[in-house]
Amino acid sequence: MFALVKLVFLSRLSRRSAPLLLLLGLGAALAPAVSAQPKDAPSKRLEAIRAEMDKGQGLFVAGNYAGAAEVFEAGYAAYPYSAFLFNAGVCYQKQNDVDRALAKFREYVKVDPRAPDLDKVNQRIAALEAAKAAAVTAAPLGEAGSGADAGAGVAPVVLPSGDDQSSMKSLVVIETEPDGAPLRIYQRVDANAQFTLGAMNPGFKEVVATNAPANLTLDVGQYHVVVEKFRDFNASEADMTISPGHVHQLKANLSQGKFMAFLRVSSNVMGAHIWIDDKKKERSRWGDTPHGELVPGGTHDVLVEAPGFEPFLSNVDLEHGQQKELEVRLERLNYGVLRLDASAPVVAVRVDDQPKGVWRTGTEPLDVRLDAGEHRLTVESDGRKTFKGKVVVPRGQILPLHVKMIPKYPRGAAWTQAVIGAAFLGASIYAGVESNRLYDELKSDRENGRLDASDERATRGKWLAGGADVGFVVAGALGALSTYNFVKDPLPESSVTQGKLLEFDDPLKVRPVARLAPPKALPQNVVTDAHGPRLELTPSASTTGGGLRLGGTF
Amino acid sequence: MRAILLQHPLVACVALGLSACSWYRFDQVTRNSPVELLEKPDSINNGFGVSLATAYNPGRTQVLVGGTVATSGTALFELSNGPGTTFWNSGYCSGDGPPCFLSSLTAGFANAQGPDRVQPLCFAVGSGAVTKQGLVMHCMDGVEYTLDMPQAAQDLLATAIAQNQPRDFPMATDRRDDPVLMAALPEKHLAWFYPEKSTVFSELTLPAALQVDDPSFGHSLAVLAVDGGRVLALGMPGKSQVFLWKADGGANSRYLGCLGGTTGLGRALAAGKVNSDGSDDLLVSDENRVYALDGAALFELEETTVSECSFPSMTAGKLLGSFACGSTSEVSGCEGSEFGAALAVGDLDGDGDGEVIVGAPKMTVRDQENAGALLVYEADVTADSSLAEARFMSSAESGDELGRSIVTPHLSNHDIIAAGAPGHGKAALFYCSPLFHFGAAGSRCE
Repeated sequence: MFALVKLVFLSRLSRRSAPLLLLLGLGAALAPAVSAQPKDAPSKRLEAIRAEMDKGQGLFVAGNYAGAAEVFEAGYAAYPYSAFLFNAGVCYQKQNDVDRALAKFREYVKVDPRAPDLDKVNQRIAALEAAKAAAVTAAPLGEAGSGADAGAGVAPVVLPSGDDQSSMKSLVVIETEPDGAPLRIYQRVDANAQFTLGAMNPGFKEVVATNAPANLTLDVGQYHVVVEKFRDFNASEADMTISPGHVHQLKANLSQGKFMAFLRVSSNVMGAHIWIDDKKKERSRWGDTPHGELVPGGTHDVLVEAPGFEPFLSNVDLEHGQQKELEVRLERLNYGVLRLDASAPVVAVRVDDQPKGVWRTGTEPLDVRLDAGEHRLTVESDGRKTFKGKVVVPRGQILPLHVKMIPKYPRGAAWTQAVIGAAFLGASIYAGVESNRLYDELKSDRENGRLDASDERATRGKWLAGGADVGFVVAGALGALSTYNFVKDPLPESSVTQGKLLEFDDPLKVRPVARLAPPKALPQNVVTDAHGPRLELTPSASTTGGGLRLGGTF
Repeated sequence: MRAILLQHPLVACVALGLSACSWYRFDQVTRNSPVELLEKPDSINNGFGVSLATAYNPGRTQVLVGGTVATSGTALFELSNGPGTTFWNSGYCSGDGPPCFLSSLTAGFANAQGPDRVQPLCFAVGSGAVTKQGLVMHCMDGVEYTLDMPQAAQDLLATAIAQNQPRDFPMATDRRDDPVLMAALPEKHLAWFYPEKSTVFSELTLPAALQVDDPSFGHSLAVLAVDGGRVLALGMPGKSQVFLWKADGGANSRYLGCLGGTTGLGRALAAGKVNSDGSDDLLVSDENRVYALDGAALFELEETTVSECSFPSMTAGKLLGSFACGSTSEVSGCEGSEFGAALAVGDLDGDGDGEVIVGAPKMTVRDQENAGALLVYEADVTADSSLAEARFMSSAESGDELGRSIVTPHLSNHDIIAAGAPGHGKAALFYCSPLFHFGAAGSRCE
């Protein structure tokens, strides 16, 4: 459900070779299971060569001959195997770059004079040279008949065509344990022929006779590998299918008389950790994707894990001499992590209205594990504007968030105005009510014929009324002013900056850090002094005079 | 939070709109107010409102406000039913001119007989030396003259003027067009009157057996205009006695008797038409009550030489009513209120008979002690009358002592109340009364 597995049979060693004792190149610890061995140097080298070869082959198939040639050239520079040269030559030939193609093929012949396909390559060189010569000969005609090509002086070279991806040569690495065993490689020329050790085998053509270890450049095709008797070991044999532009590795453990199987595990996640026959991960991992090694034939548990992805566990059946590639597609976890810090001393984090923790400045960012998908994020801090927003938590990844907490706009003036305005309002209401009361009294007195014009209540009521009116105006003005100042906010809202998505931390890649020795404690009676008491005598001089300056610190 | 704060301006605006706290409404409510305080002139240092007198000559009504007895001047105001009262003169007995001693009781005349002719709108203000020494009369258009007094009074005045030792000559008159002026000299226990259209005095005699040697002699005076003549009343509250005479219109007078018996009787006297028989009636107060006696009935008393003073025998069949102090929710403190310190009768409601106005200068008004109030009674009943209303100034202050003096100036169709509050030098005109239909008394009472 979480991983897709694609088994690719790169090469199959014949079951008929079972009587042969082909040795597994990895020691006795591998007997019941695959050795817990990190990538050793040869394995890494082969894996790198394989990567280069696969890359170039991919570009060639895609029609990017220039890119493929560049990759093959680089591959040869790093790993001087002749297969790279030949493949680069084919790429140049596909580009009608006859000179560079010839150069590569000639170098191929030069560096690998015992190449099994030497004749074919020589014929290719001859054909190219002929084509080139024909182009030169046709040039005068071109001058007379075609103005367009007159400037070139050379007619276009028409190279032999028909090269396709199967034209790519592969690198074949054959090893034996122990080294030095003589071996022969036969190419199947009759598709129905069966190889019989010691017989004439007319359907096969011997293409290589050498001693292990051997690095060979072979065409695509069906081959039969024979490890002849060597010291006290019997002969071993195996069929081998060469696919274009690949790196094939065979290793025979002569003491066991069997070829080992080759398992390569790749994944959509580079560097995913692989454990073989170790579901509990009690031993060191087998390797990191992509990784391939010779393993004993049989059934193996393959566990592939990568931070942020669901683990993959599967069984793989491998026959002796079989080469199998396990392509694993890891699926992201259904949760992710918010990694949050902020520009405030202390912030409280709530997700979907649930408190998720407090982050303080100077500490590591706060990690909050959440289901993948959209969430409501709330970040609060005293004196800062609360941030509220939505975030989308990725699957199996870390979303770094930096919350910029903007200070709240100060409301002191607004509160002062509101309080003073309220005081004015209250006083005005009181004055108004009192004024009304006095007016009612005066009116009543007037109605009862008692009111005299000099009644001081009239004066008092007049002042109260006027004061109330003024107070209402002032209160209204202050109220409006305070409202404006409450609403006014020139500062932006708090915001969040989303960083680049991060992968989960991989504990297997954490480098050990040496602990620093704790500082020695000072004796309690020792008072630290950065400078200590000292005296300074400083000469000074200027256009107006000079002297000595005496100073010091104590 | 912000939403709440956004409401502030709205609340303020609504409150502002609802307040209706325009200050000009106070100007409106006090403009042409039903009570008007008369402005005290600077020439009157103190005691403004100790005495009051009013004179009415058709079309014009004047009020004379006196200050401290014998040492201060007066202020004359001309009233109108409309807005505003005109200050007319402050030169009467001001001390700026010839010697003049302001009396504790002044009198106003619609017309007064002058040396040569009848003078309209005159006031008898005191004693002094205008043209010669005597009772000083001030009339319209600045006319001044003096009236001769009995020789003893004349001699005493001469001495007083010479020694600058003021003497009090209380006076009273009635409200007829040809009034009779009554005057007294307490120090000499003298009383006299000036008949209608006469500037010649006529002494009032008492039975020889009567003991009148009391300084309160003449503390209160009243002249009742009744059909056929006058009834003259003089109070001597120190001995709780009120002496009565009657005059037939000429210089002759006859002693009618003496009211007495109740403590403080004669503290104040007033004349006016309490009932509707066309004759003035007598108001007399003692320490607790005010009595209204039928003036016409008193005039019918026979001359007597009895020296005994009796209230029941004298008032039998003549008592129109009596009034005791009453309280309201705003006016209280009858005990010690000096109820009856001043009396007046006025036709406040314009119905033809009068209402009795009693001054109680020590009453508490709206918690203002001794602010004073005017208690108004309708006295057209024979039984004890209940309090009709209590009048006071809306600006009453402690110590105003409103009600020390009361007169009832006559306007076009009714009387109003003028009262002095000398505690703080105030004199107020009460234009309106609940007894009078509001609106009928002009814009002040709308």
